[in-house]
Amino acid sequence: MAIVVFKDDNIRVKVPVGMSLRQAAMKTGASIVFGCRVGDCTECASHVSEGMILLSDKTEKELKALEMIESDIADLRLMCQCTVRCEEGEIVISQQF
Amino acid sequence: MPGVQAALSPSVHFIGAFDPMIRTFDIIMKTANGSSYNSYIVRGSEGVCIMDTVKKQFADQFFERLEKQCSYDEIKFIVLHHLEPDHSGALLDLMERAPQAKLIISGRAVMMLKALVKSEIEYEAVSTGKTISLGDKTITFLSTPFLHWPDTMSSYLHEEKILFSGDVFGSHYYDERLYDDEVGDFSYAFRYYYEHIMRPFKPYVLQALKLYKKYEIDVIAPLHGPILRMDPQSYIDKYEKWSTGAKYKKSIAGRKIVSVFYMSSYDNTLAMAEKITEGADAVDGIVASMYDLASLEEQNMIDLLEESNAVILGSPTINGDAVKPAWDLLACMPYLENSSKIGATFGSFGWTGEAPDMLQDRMRWLKFRLPVDPLKIKLIPNDQELMQSFNFGREVAEITMGKMVEMEL
Repeated sequence: MAIVVFKDDNIRVKVPVGMSLRQAAMKTGASIVFGCRVGDCTECASHVSEGMILLSDKTEKELKALEMIESDIADLRLMCQCTVRCEEGEIVISQQF
Repeated sequence: MPGVQAALSPSVHFIGAFDPMIRTFDIIMKTANGSSYNSYIVRGSEGVCIMDTVKKQFADQFFERLEKQCSYDEIKFIVLHHLEPDHSGALLDLMERAPQAKLIISGRAVMMLKALVKSEIEYEAVSTGKTISLGDKTITFLSTPFLHWPDTMSSYLHEEKILFSGDVFGSHYYDERLYDDEVGDFSYAFRYYYEHIMRPFKPYVLQALKLYKKYEIDVIAPLHGPILRMDPQSYIDKYEKWSTGAKYKKSIAGRKIVSVFYMSSYDNTLAMAEKITEGADAVDGIVASMYDLASLEEQNMIDLLEESNAVILGSPTINGDAVKPAWDLLACMPYLENSSKIGATFGSFGWTGEAPDMLQDRMRWLKFRLPVDPLKIKLIPNDQELMQSFNFGREVAEITMGKMVEMEL
């Protein structure tokens, strides 16, 4: 299980491979804001300051949506669109821009 | 359509529509004075730009006013500051009449546009700083998202110092005299609009005001109600005050606020509420208070909810459900800024005890952070269960104060 830290909420949670960060946020009650939950509205866009490599790749849909809101999207992810893909390591998430 | 002084300035005219008889807007808002769907035309030396359209049923008014100001082949740009149907209702018709015009929307509007028009149309997506030119007129776009749609943007006409603010600074207030120094007293409608439309998005309001501050503004042209030209800064100041107020209230003498709301049939949920409040209040940096939902007015519910860093909600289970005042409390949440609130639920029960779970589910969808499982106690809490209630309150309060929560999924 990878460790996900929702920095804005002081939540540190072990998350199994394959689980989306949306599920993890919902289950832990992290304060990530969600809108459509299907990758359109970008309301759940969050910064991944550590562990980007531990997450699934950005799909074309996610890339397109992120490019609509920011020019530099290197550390940005939609929480509803990415899943944990590695057993080991720490992923640090924040929605503070 | 007599009597409308359409000119905001030599190059900008009102071409919107009036809806004097509307009495309920968007299901939730009362509109005693009707409303308007404002739209504007900006004329430059190299063409015109249409700022938003109107609700579909009012398209005739819009096109009639538009045709008095320009011919369709002069239209170079159509700007939609957000895609809500009361402003995009005449879009497709307008694009058919002016096929050469370029549609301009915000980046966030792209997916919505596709869902709204259900056909492929050409557009340009813009973000803060993007500028378009009409020859001797220049318009800069400002991204002001979530006010009150995710795709909302504003724009600024440099030469006339006019801010096209979208729904920001709007009022549902019909008055064909149009301008704030000509119409009747619309201050109630201005405040009411803020309370119902903008209040849930306070952080985004403050973000938008920061962007607006970079520009000298002579006129604010919103999408509903009077055009604001008498003292535009006073409206900006009001939004700033209303949007920052709750932040200060969120602490009492520097302490965070935990509010315990409850209903009790036989004083059992009350006994839990007392212990939970006591436990929460025992944590350094917390002030905890309890409120009986049986006697709480809706406006007080809204204010208390908004000010609270943590909301702990208790209800007995009656006929397999939480009691109505508990649901009524949660029904207030869409009216207020709800980011990062911590929530928890509890209740005494006789037979089945679903109420705390049901309330917790609802709070999850309302974006509460819910770090602890609901606390349920069968009938009369004994000493051990009262201690459990005390610890429950203390745990929620400690998390409110920033204690790291460790868990495994």
